[in-house]
Amino acid sequence: MDFDFTEEQTLLQDSISKFVQENYDLPTRTKAIKSKTGYSEDHWKQFAELGWLALPFSEEDGGLDGNYVDTLVVSEALGKGLIVEPYFATVILAGTALRVAGNAEQKQKLIGGIIDGTVKATVAYAELQARYELNDVATTAIKEGDGFVINGEKSVAINAETADYIIVSARTSGDRTSSKGISLFIVDAKAEGISRIDYPTIDGGRGSEVTLSNVKVAASDLLGELDEGLEVLEEVRDQAILALCAEAVGQMELMYKDTVEYCSQREQFGHPLSDFQVLKHRFADMFVETEQCTSLLYRATLEKQIGAPTARRTIHALKYKVGKEGNLLARQAVQSHGGMGVTEELRLGHYFMRLAVIDTIFGNYDYHMDKYCELMHIPEGGDGEDFGFMM
Amino acid sequence: MDIELSKEDLEFQAEVEAFLDEHLPRGAELWTKRSEWFAALKEKGWDVPNWPVEFGGPGWSATQHFIWDKVTSKHTLPPTIPFGQVMLAPILMGYASKEQQDRFLPDIRDNKVMWCQGYSEPGAGSDLASLKTKAELTDDGKHYIINGTKIWTTMGHAANWIFCLTRTQTTDIKQEGVTFLLFDMKSPGVEVKPIYTLGGSHHVNQVFFTDVKVPVENRVGEEGKGWTYAKGLLQHERKGLAGISRSVYAMEKLKEKACKVPVGDEMLMDTGFKKKIAAAEIDLLALEYTELRTLAEMVNTGSPGHSSSVLKLKGTLMQQTIQELTLEAAGIYGAPFGHKKVGVKFGRAAMEGYLNGRPATIYGGCSEVQRDVIAKRVLGV
Repeated sequence: MDFDFTEEQTLLQDSISKFVQENYDLPTRTKAIKSKTGYSEDHWKQFAELGWLALPFSEEDGGLDGNYVDTLVVSEALGKGLIVEPYFATVILAGTALRVAGNAEQKQKLIGGIIDGTVKATVAYAELQARYELNDVATTAIKEGDGFVINGEKSVAINAETADYIIVSARTSGDRTSSKGISLFIVDAKAEGISRIDYPTIDGGRGSEVTLSNVKVAASDLLGELDEGLEVLEEVRDQAILALCAEAVGQMELMYKDTVEYCSQREQFGHPLSDFQVLKHRFADMFVETEQCTSLLYRATLEKQIGAPTARRTIHALKYKVGKEGNLLARQAVQSHGGMGVTEELRLGHYFMRLAVIDTIFGNYDYHMDKYCELMHIPEGGDGEDFGFMM
Repeated sequence: MDIELSKEDLEFQAEVEAFLDEHLPRGAELWTKRSEWFAALKEKGWDVPNWPVEFGGPGWSATQHFIWDKVTSKHTLPPTIPFGQVMLAPILMGYASKEQQDRFLPDIRDNKVMWCQGYSEPGAGSDLASLKTKAELTDDGKHYIINGTKIWTTMGHAANWIFCLTRTQTTDIKQEGVTFLLFDMKSPGVEVKPIYTLGGSHHVNQVFFTDVKVPVENRVGEEGKGWTYAKGLLQHERKGLAGISRSVYAMEKLKEKACKVPVGDEMLMDTGFKKKIAAAEIDLLALEYTELRTLAEMVNTGSPGHSSSVLKLKGTLMQQTIQELTLEAAGIYGAPFGHKKVGVKFGRAAMEGYLNGRPATIYGGCSEVQRDVIAKRVLGV
């Protein structure tokens, strides 16, 4: 049993934080956000050269055969740097869908390009009426000749604006909310019939409302089995939550550290703020909850890694806890910073906005509480008798 | 990063399970056959698991201790009083003379002498170093004369001996001038008065000392250095108080109860109460891993470090959360406090748990002190 990173993982961590330190101060980031694409194409090329985009893919597909812990390391480090390049959309969302469900031809078509930085992709899974439910899909794909015709509207598709391919969930059979009957399609982002409303998101990212009207795709664009797309989406969600929470936990760590440092320097009433016990205890609670979220992140990641039957339940637990405690910590950090906490001058405020957005992706804490309850272990039998109180 | 136990550790786990199967008394036999249990433990060499090998302990690794806790947490073990074996013995091993070790350790090991702890005073709780119980050396240098009082003395009314922090000198630094003394509770001048806690239980006492005469050979280590001796154990004590494996078991029992409490035509577990249980259980999932991370740290460095404060803080809070939810589950039957089991039958036990659980966040360094420790030692403020 050990909780240390391997030497390779530590090197990877160091190389990302070095990159962030040298290339990613807030003004540079802001400039990238305000550019046409919303990120720096140069940075993206460097990510590819450094091998970060190759990590989770198999050697067979040209990747580095990384595991869930490797992805944790990358996501945490990129999150600390508030990276806005489309790593999450391309490698985590589209990458996972391709790894899980792609056939040899599809993998060859897309994964090589993702690894060398020439292909960007995303998954458009959300719809307005569905809120967070992956099985609520009103978009339809009707069989026509050898292919399908897709009609519908997809919500807040991350980085769809610059994606070369959009993986779309669409209903091929069943009712709007039935679990069976959802299929995934790899859609060329330039295909006829696709229109988008693009916008910035508050965390420095980009999103799009994607309308598909009579978009024609070939049978070979079907990703995975017909009607069995939900399972793939759930796998994508598992990996996405692990990555998002790794990012959030790294940000929580820096937020409590920034808060302690700021309050040690800022003097009021003739004392550094950190002399006040009410703040010391707040710092202690922020530290403790960061530790707890780290523990749950490790637990969920390792359970997923070994294929434990409890893994998905623990992932719901993780998203709940990080959503709830992460945002509480973020609010405490802003409060402790006083007026400076609500400016865009400190990285703190940008973490604050990112954590708020992370809670909206793939379900907020409330949603995951419900999901956890659905999967919670309920003892059968047992009389509830125990040994009374604990000393 | 991995969470697999080694082959040796898995074998040890199986050995513990087999040992419990064979020797652990169940139900009413917990009391009637407890001496057989202690004999079996001694025979196996597991009676003093926390003692070093040179004093007869089994030499378990941190992981083996964890496995023992984990496996035994699912059972009720015959109760033991921890003060001798767990609290005093390590201090004697570290700082007492060979004569004192030979005199006291064998009886502690065999549970022949019951000890109580004389630390807290009415004016010295969380701020323990403010203790005032006075020990004055007689002119001939052969005895200390003790005057003062100790409070919250658990099982003081049943104990044979007390280990006691006393003040032999008052200086500007209150941690100095504290002397660690051992004496017989039957010594003239020792008076024990019961304190009844919420629910009418008698576990704790106030103990008064009036000119109690203690031979100087009952002093552990040097005069004035007692604080150092007592302090060393606190970190380990804190970790032990977290009781996380026990909470995992208690959580399961809480769910069993909630599945059987009717609310109209459904069961409590099918109402919104389920979410409260889920929220606590999620925190516990995290806490189990926080403990494992501490354990890995101990295996690597030999010390739990300041994670022991995190575990004490969150672990005791978790115990209380489960107690609160259990009481809540009992509903109107939280009130009946007689010995007849009526209605929701765990009602009385739930209330007892709720009441008796309060001190967990007060003793062993209260939650506020743990937050101070974290702020100072971990965060540097």
